[in-house]
Amino acid sequence: MTLVMAGFVDMTITQRMDVFTGAPHEGSAVNYGTVGITFGARLPLSTAEWHAALKALNCEIPGS
Amino acid sequence: MKNNHSHDQGLGLDINELRSAIQFEYEGLAVAPEKGFHFHTGRKLADILGYPDHWLDGIPESAIESFAGTGNPLSIAEVQPGEHVVDVGSGAGLDSLIAARMVAPAGQVIGVDMTPAMLEKARRSAEQAGLDHLSFRHGYGEELPVDDDWADVVISNGVLNLMPEKTAGLQEMKRVLKPNGRIQIGDILVQKEVPLSAKRDIELWSG
Repeated sequence: MTLVMAGFVDMTITQRMDVFTGAPHEGSAVNYGTVGITFGARLPLSTAEWHAALKALNCEIPGS
Repeated sequence: MKNNHSHDQGLGLDINELRSAIQFEYEGLAVAPEKGFHFHTGRKLADILGYPDHWLDGIPESAIESFAGTGNPLSIAEVQPGEHVVDVGSGAGLDSLIAARMVAPAGQVIGVDMTPAMLEKARRSAEQAGLDHLSFRHGYGEELPVDDDWADVVISNGVLNLMPEKTAGLQEMKRVLKPNGRIQIGDILVQKEVPLSAKRDIELWSG
């Protein structure tokens, strides 16, 4: 949602990996179940496209 | 740094203090990558994250040894010849170097980092690799030293999680991107609730 609010659309998480367990000085990240992720998104081609993404999230459309 | 960026959005963190702590941690990774950190680093991390061997072949070892990402941004889609790429928090430059080879010869890559020791290391690696369409600039994710609408793609790896002002960081990525431009980002997902006291603990942000 943060990404869409910031103006992006088509957010996709493509990878989720444990990048902390077993590190030399494994710390609090593991305790909080922290994993590494890879994600992508893009800027919309038009304001209308962004508004459609906001609407899909049930968010208020600016100026409406 | 601008005065209106001296504090975060509600956590009560001093951003200058936080940035200093992060710089200290990553300066250590630049100058002594072998000492061991709370995260995996270097070639082992690249293997964990699925960086293919052909991406790493010919990349200076100095860029690989100080690698500290949390994802594999270029695995989403390789950047294309001629494209302009910004690498936010470029560190020792591994992702920037890989991207620079992908966009050659007509493309350009700008890496931005706030830690001088990392910038120095990345610049040496770019020179060693002969990639003169790759440059590194000092700056912060929330204030990128890049023109509006310059980039086709913004990549970043293990950096957004270190920004207390994540919305400002995303807005900067948006500002430098062309319409229909892409972000490809390695970040973290925290699966258990983090108490406010921990969110305010600068040591936990940086290490």
